[in-house]
Amino acid sequence: MKLRKLILASSVAVALATSSCQKVIEVPETDLIAGDVALSSVTFVEQAVIGIYAAVGTEMNILLNAVFADEVTRAEFYNATTTHEWQYGAADVGLRDSYTGIAPNYNIVNRANVVLAAIPKADSTRVGDNTKKLRLQGEALFLRAYAHFELFRYYCGNYDPNGLGMVYMEKSTIEPAARIRMGEYFTKINADLAAARPLVAQNLTDINRANLAAVIGLQARVALYMRNWAAAEAFATEFINLVPVASIANFPGIWTDVNNAEQAFRLIRTNTLGGRIGSLFRATSASAANIGLVTWRPADKLWTSYNRTADVRANTYFRDEPLLTSAGRGSRLIQKYAGTAYGTPNENVANAKVFRTAEMLLIRAEARAEQGRFTGATGADADVNLLRSNRITGFVPGTYTSAAQAITDIMLERYRELCYEGHRFFDLKRRSLPIQRTPADAPSAAGTTLEANNFRFVLPIPLPEMVANPLMQQNPGYQ
Amino acid sequence: MRKLTLSVVAVLLFMVQALAQRNITGRVTDDTGKPLAGISVGVKGTSAGTTTNADGVYSLSVPSGSRTLVFSGVDFESQELNLGAGSTLNVNMTSSEKALTEVVVTGYGREKKRQFTGAATVLGSKQIQDVPVVSFDQNFQGRIPGLLANSGSGQPGAAANVRIRGTQSITGAFVQPLYVLDGIPISAGDFATLNPNDFESITVLKDAGAAALYGARGGLGVIVITSKRGKAGQAQFSYRTQTGITERPSASQFEQMNSREMLDYEEFVGGFVPGLVAPGWIYSRKHPNYNALPPTSPASNPFAASRARYDFMRDSLANNNVDYYDLLFRRGVSQTHEINMNGGSQNSRYFVSLNYFQMDGTDRKSRIKRYTARFNLDNTVGKLNIQFNNSIGYSITDYNEGAFYAGSGTANPFAMAWRAKPYENPYNANGNLIFGPSTALVPRAMANLIERSNNSTWVDKQVKAVTGLTLAYRIFPSVTIKNTSGLDAALNFGQGFINANSYVGSLQSYQAGYLNESQVSRLQLINTSGIVYNKLINDRHDVELGGYFEVVRAWNRGFGFNMFNLDPRLFQTGQGAGTLATGGAANFAQNGNSAKSGFGIRSYFASGRYTLDNKYTLTANVRRDGTSRILNPDNKEITTWAAGITWDALKENFLRNVNWLSDLRVRATYGVVPNIGSIPGGSFGISSNFYSIPGYLNAQLPAFGTTAYAGSPLTGLAPGVANPNLRIETVAKANIGLDLGFARNRVRLSVEAYRNLTRDLFVSQRLVATSGFYGSSLNVNAGTMSNRGLEFDFAVDIIRSKDQDLTFRANHAININKIEDLGSVTEYPSGTGIIKEGLPFGTHYSYWYMGADPATGRPQYKRPDGSITTNINEGGQFHEFGTWLPKHVGGFSLDYRFKQLSISALFSYQLEVRRYNNVQNWVTQGDGLYTGAVTQSRMLLTEQWRKPGDVKSIQSPAFSRQFTSLDIADAKFLRFRNLNIAYNLNSFSIGKVRLMKSGRFYVQAQNIAIWSPWSGLDPEDDNNISLAEFPNPKAFVAGLDINF
Repeated sequence: MKLRKLILASSVAVALATSSCQKVIEVPETDLIAGDVALSSVTFVEQAVIGIYAAVGTEMNILLNAVFADEVTRAEFYNATTTHEWQYGAADVGLRDSYTGIAPNYNIVNRANVVLAAIPKADSTRVGDNTKKLRLQGEALFLRAYAHFELFRYYCGNYDPNGLGMVYMEKSTIEPAARIRMGEYFTKINADLAAARPLVAQNLTDINRANLAAVIGLQARVALYMRNWAAAEAFATEFINLVPVASIANFPGIWTDVNNAEQAFRLIRTNTLGGRIGSLFRATSASAANIGLVTWRPADKLWTSYNRTADVRANTYFRDEPLLTSAGRGSRLIQKYAGTAYGTPNENVANAKVFRTAEMLLIRAEARAEQGRFTGATGADADVNLLRSNRITGFVPGTYTSAAQAITDIMLERYRELCYEGHRFFDLKRRSLPIQRTPADAPSAAGTTLEANNFRFVLPIPLPEMVANPLMQQNPGYQ
Repeated sequence: MRKLTLSVVAVLLFMVQALAQRNITGRVTDDTGKPLAGISVGVKGTSAGTTTNADGVYSLSVPSGSRTLVFSGVDFESQELNLGAGSTLNVNMTSSEKALTEVVVTGYGREKKRQFTGAATVLGSKQIQDVPVVSFDQNFQGRIPGLLANSGSGQPGAAANVRIRGTQSITGAFVQPLYVLDGIPISAGDFATLNPNDFESITVLKDAGAAALYGARGGLGVIVITSKRGKAGQAQFSYRTQTGITERPSASQFEQMNSREMLDYEEFVGGFVPGLVAPGWIYSRKHPNYNALPPTSPASNPFAASRARYDFMRDSLANNNVDYYDLLFRRGVSQTHEINMNGGSQNSRYFVSLNYFQMDGTDRKSRIKRYTARFNLDNTVGKLNIQFNNSIGYSITDYNEGAFYAGSGTANPFAMAWRAKPYENPYNANGNLIFGPSTALVPRAMANLIERSNNSTWVDKQVKAVTGLTLAYRIFPSVTIKNTSGLDAALNFGQGFINANSYVGSLQSYQAGYLNESQVSRLQLINTSGIVYNKLINDRHDVELGGYFEVVRAWNRGFGFNMFNLDPRLFQTGQGAGTLATGGAANFAQNGNSAKSGFGIRSYFASGRYTLDNKYTLTANVRRDGTSRILNPDNKEITTWAAGITWDALKENFLRNVNWLSDLRVRATYGVVPNIGSIPGGSFGISSNFYSIPGYLNAQLPAFGTTAYAGSPLTGLAPGVANPNLRIETVAKANIGLDLGFARNRVRLSVEAYRNLTRDLFVSQRLVATSGFYGSSLNVNAGTMSNRGLEFDFAVDIIRSKDQDLTFRANHAININKIEDLGSVTEYPSGTGIIKEGLPFGTHYSYWYMGADPATGRPQYKRPDGSITTNINEGGQFHEFGTWLPKHVGGFSLDYRFKQLSISALFSYQLEVRRYNNVQNWVTQGDGLYTGAVTQSRMLLTEQWRKPGDVKSIQSPAFSRQFTSLDIADAKFLRFRNLNIAYNLNSFSIGKVRLMKSGRFYVQAQNIAIWSPWSGLDPEDDNNISLAEFPNPKAFVAGLDINF
C-alpha cells in the first residue's frame, strides 16, 4: 500500500517536473534593452528612425567626387596619391580610411530593417500612433532605398539589368548574402520608394527628415541613373513643382544655412553632431588670422569655368583669401561649407543638402535632351536657362541646336552647380566620360587623365569583406 | 503506539533468549544504499560466520549468549554491532579512509576503482585539512596530474585558477571546472566561505566517461567533493586549533637602485633628456641652469633656489633610504578553532562541525575571517535512505583598496614597493605622514598611499549556504528510486569607504569621502530524480542501469549605489551625507543601479555499466541537455554520449601466477561533453566596486545603444549586433589509461594518454558588411582546438613496516594545446597574444626587440622580413616567444612516518612557460619617462647604451623601447609547496577520566621556497602578464587536533 502510494507520488512528481520544465530552458534575459522589448512602442520606433538618420551622411560622397574627379587640386597637405591618382586596389589604405562605402550604407540599411521589423509589433495604444507608424515605415523604406542606391553608385557599373548589382538587404541578419543582378536590385529600390512615397510626410514642414519631395527627388535621381528618361523627367517635374528654384538673392543663404531655399531634404550638422563638412577641404583655424591647413583647393578648371563677376556661385562656392596670399599659402579656397568665420566655434559647420531643385532642373534637362527635346518650352534649354537666370546676373537665355550639344552643356552646368555635392565622379562614370585634369590641377602626369570606362570608376569591394563573406563577388579589375 | 512496540519487543526479546540458537538475517549496503556482496559477517568471540550474497543479504545462526556481530570487508571500515532482540540487522558500511583511493566518486554515486573506466584523481581529507590557505582549490597544485592550479593573488580567500588538461576553449579560457559538493553544484572560485576540514574527499574527473554524467556543465572537467559523514557508534568529539603566521614578500629581485644610485642615474638620463624633471637632474651641477643660480639663498628666503640649496637638497635626498617593504607589508597572524562531533546509531548518523578561521594577509589591511557550520545526517528508515547535508558560513574579507584594484598605479602597495623613488621619506621628523600633491621634486606618493590605506576600508562579506537532501527508496531489491534536491546560495555585501575627513577623501568627487555599497544574491537550485537497477546475476554479471531527469535553475540579483559628500564624523555609513551640487547641469546622473538575471538547464540522461567476472567492465551513457543560455530554439538542446571499457588483466588465468605484478588494468573512454561555460555572455553593471550581474544572452540578443541626430530633438536608438545562432561547444575526449602495480603494490604507476578535441569552438570572426557592422567581429561557432597529453602518477613505498613508512610520489603531465582551425580566418591578435592556427592558445605576440643600435643607441626591432629597423612601426609582431600556459606541470612528495611522527613534503613545478613581466618593463625601461616616475633597476648601470660603440641590450635613455619581446620572461618554477610535520598523540587519562582518545600535533608550512629565473615577487599567476599582483605568501602554522 505504502509502496504503491510512493510510486504513484513519485510518478506524478516526475511527470509534473518534466512538463513544467520547458520554462527552465527558456529563461529570458529580462534586463537587456534588446529584442522586441527595445522597440515595443511607437515612441521607441521613432527613436530608432532617428538612429537611422544619425548614420546618414553626404560627406563621403562629397570628398570622393571631389578627390577622384576634377573638382579639387592638392594643396598644403597631400597623402591621397592612391585615390587622387587612381592607383587603388581592394586593400588600399586610402580607400579604407575614407571611402569604405559598404560600412555606412549597410549600417543605414540594417537600422532601417530593424525598424521595419519592429513596426508591426510595436504597440499603438495612443492617439496618432497608427499614423506615425506609417510615416516611420515610409522613412525607413526611403532610407533603405537611399543607402542601396549609394552602394550601387560606389560598387556597380553603369545600369544594366543583367549587370552585377550589390546585395539588397531586406532583413537584419549577420548571415552572408550574395550580390544580385541590377535589374532585380533596381526593382527593389523602386519598390521601396514607391511604397515609401504615400507614407512619408506629404509636406515640407520638416525637411530634416524624409518627405514626399525627398522621395520624388530620389526617384528622379534613380531614373536618371537607369537612363529611364521619361520617368526622370516626370519625377523631376513633380519635384520642381513642389520646391521652386532659389533666386540669385536667396542662393548664398542656402550655403550659410540662413534659408531653406530649394531644399527638400537636408541633414543638420552642428559643431558637436555630425561633423564639419568644410573640414573635408580645410582644417579649422586656430584664430581669425591663422587659417587652418588647406588640404584641397578648388581645381583651376572649375574655378575658371564661371563668369566670376556675374555668377553668384563663383563667390558663394569659392573665396580668394587675401590672408592666405599674404602668408604665401596660395589664395583659393572652397567656401561652400565654410560655416562661420575663421577660428569661431561654427567654422566649417554647414548642413548637408541632399536634394535640391537645381539638381532636378538639370536631371530634367538631361532627360529632355535624351528624349530628343533639346529645345523649346519643354526642351532642355528651357531648364538650363531657368537655372542660369537664377544664378547669373544679366543672363541671356540661349538655345540648343542638338541633343549632343545640350548634354555637353548640361554636364558643364552640373559641374558648376553641383560641385562638392557628391556628383561629379559619378556623373562622368554614368556618362562614360573620362576624367581630365588640366596641367595646373594634375598632381602628376599619371594623375592627369582617367580614361572613360576605366575599371577604377567602380570601386573595389574591400579585401576584408572579400575574406569575411564567402558569397561576395569582387568587381572586375580588382581580382 | 510506541509503548506497544516496546512491549512487543520486550516479549520477543524474552522469547529469543529462551532459545538456544537464533537466526539473524539482514542486508549490508554502502552509504549510498547499494547492496554490498562479499562482506564477512561473523559472531564476535566465535568462529561462526558467513558472507553476504549479491543482494547484500546474509543469514546467520547465532549461538545464544553471543551479543555482537562483526562486519568486515575490503575497502570498508569494520563494524561491531550489538545484537538486539530482533532477528533482522541491516548494516550500512562506510568506506575506510584507506579505501578512498579504491573508490571513485563519479557522477551519481561511488564506483569501485576496478570498475572505473575513466581518468580520475582522488585527494583524501589528509591532503586538504589544516593547510593554511582559505580556498581549498589552492591545495591542488602539484598533487593532481593534468591539473594546473595557479593563484593570481595572495589575498586571503582568493581562489586558484584551475585548468584540467589544458585550455579547451578561447571564449571560455578562464572558465572553471564544475564543482559538485555532495551532489550539489557549487559556484566555482567562490570557496572562501567553505571549510575544507569538512571535506572527506575530492575527486577530479578528467575524461569524458565520468564527466559526461554532468553533461552540459562538465565540459571542462568536474571536481566532486564529498563531505564527512557520521560513523555509527558512540559520539566522537574533536577539537582542532591552529595558529600561525603569513610572511611578507621577500625583497624584490629587480635589484632596485638605492637613493644615491637613483639620483646619479637621473643625472645621467638628464644628460640625454634635458627636460627630465627629477631631483637627481634638476639639482645636478651638470644641469644647464645650475651655474646661473646664485651661490647661496638669501637669509630672508632660505629655501630659494641657489647652488648651495640644490647641493643640500641632493645630498639630503641621497641619504634617505626607506625600506618600503617594511612600511607596506607585515607578518600576518592566522588562527583556527574547530569543534566537530560525529556518531549515531546504525540507522541514524550525524556529523556536525563548527569552525572559526582568521588569517591576516601580508598586506597591511588584507584579512579574512570565516565562521562555518556543517550538519550532515544519514538516516535509514526501512527501505528509505535519507542524506541531508548542510553547510552554512559567513566570511568577512578585508582588502586594501589599492591592492584590490591592483595594477601599476600609485595606490597599489605591491606596485609602489618597487615603483616609489627610494629617496622619498613619507614621514617627517615628528613621525607624521607628509601627504599632499606629489610631484617629481616633492614626491609624496608613498605617504599618500599610506594615508589612503589608513583612511579607506574595502570589505566583502558573504553568507553562503549549501544544502542538499537525497532520498533513496528501494522499490525492489534491485531497483532504487532516488531524488536529490539542493541549493547553493550566496549573499554578498560589499562596501568601499573613504573617510571624508582625510586627504584621500578630499580627492573624491565633491571633496568629502566616498561610499559604495552593493549587494548581490546568487541562488542555484538543482533537482535530480533517478531510477537505478543494480543486480549481480549468476555471480558473474554485474549490471547497473540508471535513468535520470535533472533540472538546474539559477538566479542572480544585485544592486549598488555610490554616495559622496559624507559626514566627516561617521564611518562606513551614508547617514549624514550632504547634498550634491549639480554644477548647473540640466541632467543629473544616477548614482545607483540594479540588475537581475538567471538561467536554467534541463537534462535527461541514462547510464549503464556491465561487469563480467569482475574482469571486464563496459560503461556507457547518453544524455540530452537543454539550456536557456542558448537563444536559438533549434540549438538549445544537445545530445551527447560517452562509452568506456576497462580490463582487469590480473583476473585472467594466464596472469594468475605472475607474482611480481600486483595490478594491471587497462582503461579506455571516449565521449563528447558539451561545454556550457564557454558560451559568450556579458554583464550588467550595478554601481558596485565588487560585483556585476552576469548577462547570459547578451552575446545573442542585439541590444540597443543611443545615438544622436541634430535634425531631431529625440534621442536616437541604434541597434547593436549579436549572434543569435550560437551553439554549445563540445569537447570530444578520448582517454586511455594503464594502472600498474608491482611488488604487492609497493610500486604503483598510472599512465594516461588523452586527446581532447573542442568542436564548434567559438572564434572571433569578422562580420559581413551587409550585417551593417563592417569591421566588427563576433563570436561564431567556427573553430577546432585540440589538447593532447600524457600524465604519469607514480608512487613507491620505499619502507613499509609497522614502525616506519616511507613513500615517494611523483606526478608529471604534458599538455600540448593546438588551435586546429579558425573557420574563415587563420589568425587574429587577442590582447598581448595571438590566436593562430597551428599555435597553442596563450601564445605571446610581440615586437621582436634586437638590442640597442651601437651607433645611435636607438632601440632595434626585427622587421617582418627579418631585417633590423629602429622604427617600431616598421617592426613586425612575432609569435615565437612561447605561451603563458605551461607545457609541463607536476609535483613530487615524500611522506615519512616513524611510529607516531610523520613528515610530508610536497614540491610543485611548472616548465616551458613564459609570461609578460610588466614590472620588469617599467624598472628597466631606462628612458626619461620611466626614470622620472619609477625607481629603475641597477641592471641599467651596466646594460644600457651610453656612448656610440656600446653594444648593449638596453637602448639609450634618449629613446623609449616600449613593450617588446624583451619583457617576455621565463616563468618556470620549482616550489617547495608544503611541509607537514605531525606527531600523533596517544590517549591521555587522569585517573579514570579519559581526557583524550587520540590527538595530533603538527606544524605545517606553505610556499616555503621557490626557485625560478623570474624577476619579481612571484612567477606564479593565472594569466599572461604580471601586473604587480598580490604575491602568494609563505605561511607557517602549528596546530593541535584532539579527539575525545
